Amino acid sequence: MELLIRLSLRNLLRQKRRNLLLGSAMAIGVAILVTAGSFSAGISDIMFNRIMRYVTGHVSVRFNERGGVMREIFRDGERARAALQGVPGVEKAEEGVGYFMRAIGNGKSDNIILVGANMSAELSDKERREIEESFRVVEGSWEGARDSKAENPIIISAEKARYLNVTLGDTVRVRFRDMFGQDQAARLTVAGVMRNDNIFMQPVVFLERERAKALLGYRPWETASFSLTLSDPKRGARAVADAIHARLKPGLASMEASVNGRKTALFGVKSDAASREALAARLKLSPAVLEAALRRDGALLDARTARALGVRQGEEFRASWARKFEPGLGETRLKAAAIFSGEGPGGVLVNDGKFYAAYYRDLPAAGAAPAPGWEALLAPEWTLLPRTYTTDDYKKKYQEIARSRGKGTTADVSTMYETASDILKLEGVLNLITLSAVLVLFFIILLGVVNTLRMTIRERTKEIGTVRAIGMRAEDVRNTFLLETFFLTLFSSAAGVALGFLAMSLISVPEFHPQDNPLGMLLVNGRVYFLTTFWNTAGSVLLIMGIALATAWFPARRAAAMSPAQALRHYD
Amino acid sequence: MLKLATLLLLCCGPALAADSRVTPILKAIDYNYRLKSDVRADVTMTQQKAGQGTKIIDMAYYRRDADDAFLIAIRAPENEKGNGYLRVGDNFWMYRKNTRTFQHVNRDESIAGTDARGDDFETRKLEELYAPALGTDGKEVFAEETLGKVPVYRFELKAKVSDVDYPRQIYWTRRDNNLLLKQESYSGSGTLMQTAYFLKFTEVEGRFVPVKQLFIDEFEKGNRTIVEISAIVPGKLADSIFTKPYLENLSK
Repeated sequence: MELLIRLSLRNLLRQKRRNLLLGSAMAIGVAILVTAGSFSAGISDIMFNRIMRYVTGHVSVRFNERGGVMREIFRDGERARAALQGVPGVEKAEEGVGYFMRAIGNGKSDNIILVGANMSAELSDKERREIEESFRVVEGSWEGARDSKAENPIIISAEKARYLNVTLGDTVRVRFRDMFGQDQAARLTVAGVMRNDNIFMQPVVFLERERAKALLGYRPWETASFSLTLSDPKRGARAVADAIHARLKPGLASMEASVNGRKTALFGVKSDAASREALAARLKLSPAVLEAALRRDGALLDARTARALGVRQGEEFRASWARKFEPGLGETRLKAAAIFSGEGPGGVLVNDGKFYAAYYRDLPAAGAAPAPGWEALLAPEWTLLPRTYTTDDYKKKYQEIARSRGKGTTADVSTMYETASDILKLEGVLNLITLSAVLVLFFIILLGVVNTLRMTIRERTKEIGTVRAIGMRAEDVRNTFLLETFFLTLFSSAAGVALGFLAMSLISVPEFHPQDNPLGMLLVNGRVYFLTTFWNTAGSVLLIMGIALATAWFPARRAAAMSPAQALRHYD
Repeated sequence: MLKLATLLLLCCGPALAADSRVTPILKAIDYNYRLKSDVRADVTMTQQKAGQGTKIIDMAYYRRDADDAFLIAIRAPENEKGNGYLRVGDNFWMYRKNTRTFQHVNRDESIAGTDARGDDFETRKLEELYAPALGTDGKEVFAEETLGKVPVYRFELKAKVSDVDYPRQIYWTRRDNNLLLKQESYSGSGTLMQTAYFLKFTEVEGRFVPVKQLFIDEFEKGNRTIVEISAIVPGKLADSIFTKPYLENLSK
C-alpha cells in the first residue's frame, strides 16, 4: 500500500500544471461550499441564538389573561416558578416583560417597546458579553441603567433617541395601558444610548425588569411569561417543553367563600357552548334561561345552598373570601338570578368572566371541591394550551384562542424551534440552494476529473502494460489511479477550506451599519457573520471526495482491466 | 370614539339622600345611563392629532341595552366606509368590508384606528367601578364651585377595580340636576391624562343626552376629539338589526 501511495503521489507531480488547474477548480468549489454553508448556519444562529433566544428564550412559557395579547400575567408566580424548577437541562428561567408605549421626547413623539431587562449582578461574563455585543452602548452605560436614584433609567437605541430628540440625562414621558387596561403615564430618564444593527430592535427601550414590572402594574406575587435558557437547546428543547407542559396541568378554580356569614364555595361555569349545553341539560333549564341567569353578576344556586345561605331568588348578595397573598378579604357582589331544585356542585355558580375577574384579582387562600361529576363543567385555574410543533400549528392555536374568547388565563409552552420553524425551513432552503449550485459546479469540475484521468490513462497505457508485465496486480493499478484522485481531491479540499476561511475572514472585515435596512439583522457587530462547524466543513469535504472517487472509479477500473500485452503494444 | 359607549346617553336625575354626597350622584348617573328604550343615532367624531391633521369619522349607531347590544356602521372616511362593529352580550365582532369577514375583537384592541379600545364599549355601572376618593381628613373630596357661571359640585373618584381606563377621576356635575359637565382623568402616577367637556345636551324620553362632547388629550398636547350625536331616534329596534347579515347589508 505504501508503494501505491508513493506511486500515486509521484504521478500527481508528473502533470503539475494539469493537476494544479484541476485542483484549483476543486478548491474554489470547496471554498464556496464551506463559505455558503457557514453563512446560512450563521443566519440560523443569529435568528435563534441572538434574536429568538432574547425574544422567547430557547423555551417559552407564556401566560395570557382574558385573551389579551399584551396581558402576559400569571397571578400565582410561586406556582409558575415551581413548575420550572428542577427541570433537567434548564440553565436559567427569566421573566420576559415587554410593552408597547407612546413616548414623548423633546417636542417629538413616537411608539416604543419597553423591555424589562435583567441588569442584576447574576449575569455571567458570557451573558454580559453577548448582551454588550448585541446592544452596543455608545453613550452612557449599562451601569447607569442600574442607578437606583434615577427615575426609571433606560437604555434607548440611537435611532429612537434621535427621533425623539433626546440625549443622555433627558426625560422621556411615556403613556401606556398597563396590564389591566388602565391608562398610565411615567417618566423615563435616558441613562444610555445603544446601537443595534437589527432594525426590529430599534424601537426597544430597556428598563430594569423589576421597575418595568412595577410600571406595568404587576403585584409582587405576580409574574410575566418566562424565557428559558437551556444548556443544549437543539437536543433538549422539546423534552424540556414537554416536561414543563406536564407540570403546568391546572386544577379546578374555586373559592372557599362566605355569604351572609355562612361558608360556601364559589365556582366559575365554563362559557364554551358544549359546557353550557351540558349544564342546561343537567339543571333542566332552557339554554336561553341559563344564559340570562349567568349574565353579568348573575349567580345560580341550588335550593339547598340558597336556603343555607339565606339567599332568595333575585336578591343581591356579597361573597367574600380570605386572600392568599394579602391580608383582608376579597369580595364580589352577585345576584341570585336562578335557584334550581336539583343537585348542584355544592356552592354558588357564576359565569366564568365574572368569576375569573374576582378570582385573579384576589387569589383565594383556600379552594373547595365540588360534588363528584361537576368538575368538567367548571372553570379550571387556567387553560393549558396543547403543545404544537410547527409555526403554522402555533398560529392556528392562537387564532382559535382569539375566536373562543377565553375568560381565564392561558398557559402555553413552546420551543423557539417550534414558534420559528420557518427559520429552520429558511436555513434548509439556503443550504439546498447552495448545494444545488455547488453540485452543478462540481459536475463541471468532475467532467474535468474524468477527462484528466482518461488522458492520464491513455498517456500511461504502455506504463500500465509494463507494471502489469512485471507483476503488479490489476487491482493495484486501479487503486493507484483512485489514490491519485483521492490525494488530488484531499489537497484541493484542504486548500479550498483554507481559501473559504480566508474569504470569510475578508468578508467579515468591513463594518456596515445599515440604519433602516432589515438585512442589518444578519450582522453581528456590524459585520457579516459566518458560523463554521467541524461537521459542516467535514461534510463538504467528504461530499466532494466521495463524488470525485465515484467518478474516478470507472476509468480506473477500465485501466486495470487492460491486458498487459495489449497495453505494451499501445502506440499513440 | 373614546367614551362613546359610556357617555353616549349620559343623563341625570334627582339626587338621593345618603351619608355620602358622591354616591347618590353616581347612582343617579348609573340610573339614567340605562335607556328606557332602544335608540338609533348618527355619530360624528372629529379627531385632531398633532402633526397628523384631522380625521372625521361618521357612523350610524344602534343600541339596545336589554342584551348589551350595539351596532356601528362606519360611513366615512372613504377608507373606513363599510366597516363596522357589532356587539351582542359578550361577543364583540369587527366587520371588514374589504375581506367581508367578521373578526372577534379583544377587549384591549383599538377600534377603527382610534384610541378607543374594545373594553370602552362595555356597559358597566359607574358605581361598581368607582368609589368616592377620601382626603387626608378621611372625608370625601367634595366641593361646591362654579364652572363658568354654572354652580357645580366638584368631587374626586378612585377606581374600585383595576380594569378601568383611569384609576382616578375628578367630576364636575351641575348642582341642580347632576349633569356631568367636565371630567378629568388621571393615571396611577397622578398625571392628568384627559379632560372631557360635555358641551351640549338634548332631552330624549326624559333623559339628557350629551350631544356634543370634547375630549382633550392632556398628555400629548394638540390631540383632541369632538364627538357629536345627532338624529337620535328612540324606540324599539328590530332584532334583525343586531345581526351579522344586517351589518353586512348596511355596508354594501
